[in-house]
Amino acid sequence: MKLQFNLNGKLVETEASADATLLSVLRDNLGLTGTKEGCGVGECGACSVLLDGRLVNSCLTLAAQVNGHKVITIEGMCLPDGSPNDLQQAFIEVGAVQCGFCTPGMVLAGEALLAENARPSRLEIRTAIAGNLCRCTGYQQIVDAIQITAQKRQEKKTDA
Amino acid sequence: MPELQFIGKPINRVDALEKVLGTAKYVGDYVLPGMLIARTLRSTVPHARIVRVDVSPALKIPGILAAITCEDFVDQGRFGYPIADMFMLAYQRVRYAGDGIACVAAENETALKLGLDAIVVELEELPGVFDAMTALDPQAPIIGETPRDAPDFPRGNLVTHYIVRQGDAQSELATCPVILEEDYTTLHQEHAYIETEGALAIPAPEMSGVTVYAPCQSPFLNRGNLMRTLGLGEDNVRVIQPHVGGAFGGKDDLMYQISGQVAKLALLTGRPVKMILSREESIIASYKRDAMHMHIKLGAETDGKLRACAVNATVDSGAYTSITPFTSWRSSIHAMGPYRYDACAVDTDAVYTNNGYAGAFRGFGNPEVCFAIEQAMDELALKLKIDPIELRLKNCLRDGDTTAHGQKLGDDVALVECLEQVRKLSDWKRKHTLYSRLSTEPAKPGELRRGIGVAAVFHGMSLGAEGADFAVSTLEINPDFTLTLTSGLTDYGTGSRTAFTLIAAETLGLNPDRIVMPRPDTDQSHDSGPTVASRGTILGGNATRIAAERIGSQLNQAAADLLGCRVDQITRHGELFISPREEPVTFENVVEHAHKMGLTLYSRGRWSPPEIHWSMETGQGKPYFAYHYGTQVAEVLVDSGTGKVEVTGIWAVHNTGTIIFPQGAYGQLYGGITQGLGYALMERVDYDKGYIQATNFDEYLIPTALDVPDIEGVFVQDSFPAGPYGAKNLGEPGMVPAAPAILNAITNATGRRIRSLPANLERVLLGKDLLKEGSSTACKLGLK
Repeated sequence: MKLQFNLNGKLVETEASADATLLSVLRDNLGLTGTKEGCGVGECGACSVLLDGRLVNSCLTLAAQVNGHKVITIEGMCLPDGSPNDLQQAFIEVGAVQCGFCTPGMVLAGEALLAENARPSRLEIRTAIAGNLCRCTGYQQIVDAIQITAQKRQEKKTDA
Repeated sequence: MPELQFIGKPINRVDALEKVLGTAKYVGDYVLPGMLIARTLRSTVPHARIVRVDVSPALKIPGILAAITCEDFVDQGRFGYPIADMFMLAYQRVRYAGDGIACVAAENETALKLGLDAIVVELEELPGVFDAMTALDPQAPIIGETPRDAPDFPRGNLVTHYIVRQGDAQSELATCPVILEEDYTTLHQEHAYIETEGALAIPAPEMSGVTVYAPCQSPFLNRGNLMRTLGLGEDNVRVIQPHVGGAFGGKDDLMYQISGQVAKLALLTGRPVKMILSREESIIASYKRDAMHMHIKLGAETDGKLRACAVNATVDSGAYTSITPFTSWRSSIHAMGPYRYDACAVDTDAVYTNNGYAGAFRGFGNPEVCFAIEQAMDELALKLKIDPIELRLKNCLRDGDTTAHGQKLGDDVALVECLEQVRKLSDWKRKHTLYSRLSTEPAKPGELRRGIGVAAVFHGMSLGAEGADFAVSTLEINPDFTLTLTSGLTDYGTGSRTAFTLIAAETLGLNPDRIVMPRPDTDQSHDSGPTVASRGTILGGNATRIAAERIGSQLNQAAADLLGCRVDQITRHGELFISPREEPVTFENVVEHAHKMGLTLYSRGRWSPPEIHWSMETGQGKPYFAYHYGTQVAEVLVDSGTGKVEVTGIWAVHNTGTIIFPQGAYGQLYGGITQGLGYALMERVDYDKGYIQATNFDEYLIPTALDVPDIEGVFVQDSFPAGPYGAKNLGEPGMVPAAPAILNAITNATGRRIRSLPANLERVLLGKDLLKEGSSTACKLGLK
């Protein structure tokens, strides 16, 4: 089966079997290994990507479902010069990263929330990342990173 | 101490950038030309004699390049530390459902599955031991290799037996006016690192050796096992640790088996071989935190003064020894809690069963006993109608005290301070009085009840008197004026690479950006023993400090020569070296001059903790050179209609000494507490006749962001003289008191005491577990 979709702003074409998951297409066909597999059953969120702006588990998404759609992975989050965006920078600065295996999914979960809700409460942030398991951090600094980014984006908007 | 430039300052983790960008490579992310994939055929029964394993049919399948059993290894691949009772693949017997039997390497997934199916395995099932409390019965089947009457340990199903003895606990207890006697049990706990186990082996030219990329706890133990079981020399085996997606103690033995399997397959095929475990295979095959049963008897005066403590404990080590001799020793040493007694007796038996197997997990034996003793203290406080914090303050260890082990403590025992701070921070007095009063009134259906609970912890630093304890770091100044720092201790997300970098930078007065710390690599760094048991910061940090001091003294010589003054006349400003005439020279100038003088700008630092000793016969000694102290208070909201427990607040005060890397330290604390919260409320590894019941995150629940409250952590930073820049250990003890604090809070809310983990809905609501025995006997291996 031939697939064509917009991946991180670029049109890509690839071959995949009917039962291939988006996760396997991203990792095995396209070599984008920033998206991780943690459980294979849609429980841990390590494989999170944005599909048309919505947060999805790529291990539960069939490759066929993204044909003609827009997919953003962690590789598409950074600024054009390759440096981290403001949310990624906040993850670094508040210590939201430990082993880093859940980090790509967490960053995408954060972005998906902020796109929908520019001023989330801490409870709303916790709810938004509840599908992304982290075993290292206890989540607190991840919540901090998302909250700080929301505040900074608001300030930027007000300044402009 | 002079003002610190880098230590304790807000500095970012050295590997955070590549992790947020998604470019950090974990073992599963490696793809090499011609790489094969491998998988292990695992036992579907918990105990059996292996009658026959024939891999030759698998080799006839197109796309299968190699298939191996234990016979492909030297001495059947026997390994294990401290007791070598495991094999790279099972030899003669399988001892748990999930034990590896054979392994194949294939071109692709389709061939791999056909290959595993084609292997002929004939097993003769044997009776098993599934209840640790019956493992030592005279008629129990023997799980291990040694007979019941062997002279030493292991002996039959007895892996180890440890004692602690202070005076005569039984006679002391007989005269105590108040006695508290209860049983407590903990279940196994799954590490649940989000990255499953995996390894990649790359053969050297002419199959002369092998390089293994393995996210394991201890690359040097791994290399040693590979050398022995593959029959290769030190120069022909290299182990590199890529980024590790979490470990928490869990990436030892199974990782060594996987490493051995892919290494052998790579040597046989001449091609790179990678194996990545599915979540189900990871949970089935990997070791867990041991399950424990503890019988505790506390004796006290009516005013609450503790007099005696007796603990009898049984540790379920499962099918293999793994690191149980260390963890159950730590359990024994910490079983009485951080309190003063007139007499104390601890007896701990670790036994073999067919319930998977147990090994290292954060806390290393202490969370189990802390859960028991801290609930017992709470029960005693209730019985005596004394405030639980008051009871602890009355009895806790203080500066200069002698412990139940006969160890005279130094002046770093900050437990009183921790208890007093946590009391204030959590608004304990008001809440405890209020909730205690409310819980005596009958609950209306569905009423929400609040409760608050406390627990205290002490936690010995490093391995203790059981193991050889040392660490080695090296530093080298490179031609481009960067520095390369190596440590034999590993960083699996804990932040130790950042902490070591900061220690080196601080010691040398150089910007941390100059210091590069490569991933651990047995060709580059020096053996430092395993990275377990709260060893990282103290041992690796001190070794790094020594290495930096040594290279620093060479630089000072060069600077003095360049500036025409004495070494002791040089002052530093940032990276500049300044003479008494206020003439500055740069670090680069000094390094160039050192080269002209022929000085070698390489150093090696080795550090061992102060001397410790322990007598297995008398149960007395100095088990650890010092301890971490801490307290936590948890507040819960319990739904009296459903038994649902929400943890609404946690306050943690820990005596950490100097904090080296603050964002990392808080991360360790929050993460540890969250693992303790999971242990308390939801994590259950049930073995039903040897078959593990939960095999993925849909059944084995770990805390999500919604299960954890915002945690308030405070570090009591009294400088600890033996630690690098005054630091103590931190990674493990944050996890330890969380579960008993939560359980004590539940009792405070409901009046019901739960003495078995986890405190799930039915235990909170009904006081008993509704899980039916034998409800799910089918092994969900599905790996064949």
